[in-house]
Amino acid sequence: MAATLTANDDVMRRLLPRLPAGVWSLSGFTVVWFGGIVIPLLAIILVSFFQGRGIRINLDPTFLQYERFFSYGGSDLLARSVRIAATITFIELMIAFPFALWLAKGCKNNMVRLLTFTALTVPFFLSPAARVIVWRSVFGINGVVNQALLATGAVDEPVTWLIFSEFAVHFGFLGAFFPTMVWPIFLSISLIDNDFLEASNDLGANRFRTLVHVIFPLALPGVVAGIVFTFIPMLGDTVVAQHMGGNNVLMLSAQVQSLIGVSNFLVAAALAAVVLGIMLAFQVLLWAALKPVGGLNEVFANLRR
Amino acid sequence: MTMTAHASETITYAQVRPPFWRRFMDGLPRGTGLFFGYGVLFILYLPIVWLMILSISGEPLTGIPGEWTLTWYEDVIYADIAQRDGEAYGSNFRVGDPLLLSIGLAFATSAACVIGALIVGPVLPRVKRRGPLLIGFLMPLMVPGIVAGVGLFMWYRLVINVKMGVWSLALAHFVWAFPFALLAMLVVASRFDTRLMEAAEDLGASRWQRFWQIEVPILKPGIFAAGFFGFLLSFNELPFSIFMRAGQDTLPLYLWIQSGAHNTTVPLIYAMSTLVTIVSIGLTFLAIKLAFGGGKDGKQ
Repeated sequence: MAATLTANDDVMRRLLPRLPAGVWSLSGFTVVWFGGIVIPLLAIILVSFFQGRGIRINLDPTFLQYERFFSYGGSDLLARSVRIAATITFIELMIAFPFALWLAKGCKNNMVRLLTFTALTVPFFLSPAARVIVWRSVFGINGVVNQALLATGAVDEPVTWLIFSEFAVHFGFLGAFFPTMVWPIFLSISLIDNDFLEASNDLGANRFRTLVHVIFPLALPGVVAGIVFTFIPMLGDTVVAQHMGGNNVLMLSAQVQSLIGVSNFLVAAALAAVVLGIMLAFQVLLWAALKPVGGLNEVFANLRR
Repeated sequence: MTMTAHASETITYAQVRPPFWRRFMDGLPRGTGLFFGYGVLFILYLPIVWLMILSISGEPLTGIPGEWTLTWYEDVIYADIAQRDGEAYGSNFRVGDPLLLSIGLAFATSAACVIGALIVGPVLPRVKRRGPLLIGFLMPLMVPGIVAGVGLFMWYRLVINVKMGVWSLALAHFVWAFPFALLAMLVVASRFDTRLMEAAEDLGASRWQRFWQIEVPILKPGIFAAGFFGFLLSFNELPFSIFMRAGQDTLPLYLWIQSGAHNTTVPLIYAMSTLVTIVSIGLTFLAIKLAFGGGKDGKQ
């Protein structure tokens, strides 16, 4: 760490003394962050290979927790969670890409653009639970939709699949995870120099060819970031699956909570380790996708312009 | 300065002929894209608006709005006061303590985020080989909240064996909010011309003068953004809190637990959630205004 920090010696000497505690505040913060946060998060993978009861842990490496997890129907749960999250991520991408493209390059009205930005930002700071609990009064057996359907005679009995079903979970995710897909794609598209598009046109490319050969490759980091920031939080979502899926659509977080609830910490660790594994795979994907455009450093250089 | 010159060139060019990128979307069936885009935004906002409407309806449990009343808001306050005085009241809904805890945590997280972002933000864009550092600092963004919560819980409770409490909630909120605060600061700090610091030093400014009179004013949008991110993200945080609370209820946690039970407190949850939502929206607008309002010349 220290080697990294002193690598750019010249600049560092100029910048660091600005803070009262100089270089120590940065190094200290970095050490505390990595020691207190990053290592504990990675340690969960280590913990999952131990065995024990309750909070007593025995330090013999074993696959026992994974065997238990999968023998309790963990693979179904995992498959369902990944399938639902992947489906919604795909749908979000299909909707968000054209929308972000329009917002970045097509929207001519600054007011509309500003309002849309705000609309995309605000939900991020709202309590996720507040958004979800109200759906029950809309989609429930006595909810608004069913009352309307019954009143118009479209159905004879209340429709039950509207809530506590996979449909409800998909629907709940759709709105909640739209901004996380639009933002990164929007940012990456708006960083594309307009001269590139102009040049593509001058060289005889039509709009479609420009989209495929110029815009899409340059927007790829944003697309990958959007997928990561949508898929990963959805996989661990605490609210939608439990309030809109009930007991019919169990997803990861409900399982983690019930395992912790019965003090089955090590199986919970195995489950968390599997999710961390998926996440690390995604990070590798992100890294690979950023490589052609020069990696993280280059993305930063772009931000600076 | 260079930005302005560049922008005016573009405008002159645009006056001659609408640039290709302006015409780019013209012929596409963009109506479809916009329909779906705004359609999803509608789905996103429908429950928020519906919640507000139901919170001022007489019979929210039926799901049909009407009979406008503020009785649920009164109940939220009276139920808490009555129980504080030890009297019986219609419902056992008490938001007082969770609300105070949430506000306290939000202020603490906000302050910690500003300090942390000020320590790391201005320096990180200028460190060589910053990749690993950046990934480490932004890691909580890429880990599902529930997994990160459980990971921290296991480390501190099982491996290190300390008791959970308010400190662990504060830690969890900081872990969740800091990456966002740092990102906001990085966007501002990466445009920071370090030569200004050098010039100030040459002119004899002391360390504190350089910090307060040059760095803080330039980084102000980032500082505000970091502070607001810290406050709002902590105030509405749920997944981490589930594991790191140890008997302490934050407001979102309390509302979430209450909403799991099908009982008479549901209208009060609507009322309280509406209040929290309105405050959050107000703060978000303020944050957007403060963070981006002053930096107009930096954008095209």
